[in-house]
Amino acid sequence: MISITDDIIIRTVSRVLVPFIQIYALYVIMHGHYSPGGGFQGGVILGASFILYLITHGLKDAKKRISELKAGLFSSFGLLIYSGIGLLCLILGSNYLDYGRLSTILRVIPAQARSLGILGVEIGVGIAVMAVMFSIFFDISTGGVLPEDEEGLGVRDE
Amino acid sequence: MSNFLLFLGIGLFTLVFLCLYRGIFGPGILNRIAAISAIGTKTLVILLIMGFIYNRVDMFIDISMVYALLNFIGTITAAKYLEKEGEV
Amino acid sequence: MHMLHLTSIPFLLVGFFFFLAATVGLLRFPDFYCRLHSTGKGDTLAVLLSLIGLSIYEGFSLTSLKIMFIAVFMFLAQPTSTHAISRAAMRCGLEPWVKNKEEIK
Repeated sequence: MISITDDIIIRTVSRVLVPFIQIYALYVIMHGHYSPGGGFQGGVILGASFILYLITHGLKDAKKRISELKAGLFSSFGLLIYSGIGLLCLILGSNYLDYGRLSTILRVIPAQARSLGILGVEIGVGIAVMAVMFSIFFDISTGGVLPEDEEGLGVRDE
Repeated sequence: MSNFLLFLGIGLFTLVFLCLYRGIFGPGILNRIAAISAIGTKTLVILLIMGFIYNRVDMFIDISMVYALLNFIGTITAAKYLEKEGEV
Repeated sequence: MHMLHLTSIPFLLVGFFFFLAATVGLLRFPDFYCRLHSTGKGDTLAVLLSLIGLSIYEGFSLTSLKIMFIAVFMFLAQPTSTHAISRAAMRCGLEPWVKNKEEIK
């Protein structure tokens, strides 16, 4: 059971740094075309920002910010984006994840449609990786203490 | 100028090995954590110097920023683990 | 452009000197708290000076702005991690080293 740090310096610096780490993670996801990065790497950095918050502020505060139910929903949502784009290409009459066919919907040339398709897939992968990392760390950090009196996936709190 | 940066990089690399001595033989775990943090800081500068030697800095900047971040998070986690004698 | 290269060389040399001093301190000091002093302060200053030198070498562009972002982050994060480690050592019960044992009594 991770408890809150009683040191004010570490708490304040973590609270200041977490939003900037998240902005940097979004930059890494979006800039994956031209520099080292992409969906998976950005998702890991985004997950690391939540883990920093969980370590310095304890389990109860982190549960209030993002509960287990929301983490599960986020991972499914990221997977939905990824598979949804693939199935959309399949419905339009081409192979799975063949982004050239999206140009009929978006009214752009096929090369631009491929670029936008890859960007959408990277965003989906990033969201899914962040949610799974946070979920795994959450499960490990309870330390074997079962939730008493049936909290029910963190939806109901005291 | 490229030669100067190359010698600077080799010098920093030698300093990494000197820090590794404290990482192996340091009595107790705390000395080892401090040594690993120092090695991480030097690695960051070596990565940037390598980017300048090969004339492609924009590849290596993102990697060095991520490494600084991971070094910070790792040290804070290790310190929190040691405070409570086995629990995090 | 040659002027910029010549301006960045002193920063890099002074940064390397501080790295060397911090590493010698890490090896030779007699106690954990003294070693933490040298690593925490010397390494931070050395990284700051080296990154300023490298960003001057590049000129005025987007890349040098990103290097300054790394420098600001290191300036905030490294003293915090030094503080966290030394607090953990205090809680573990590590006692500072004194030169003469009779002076405490």
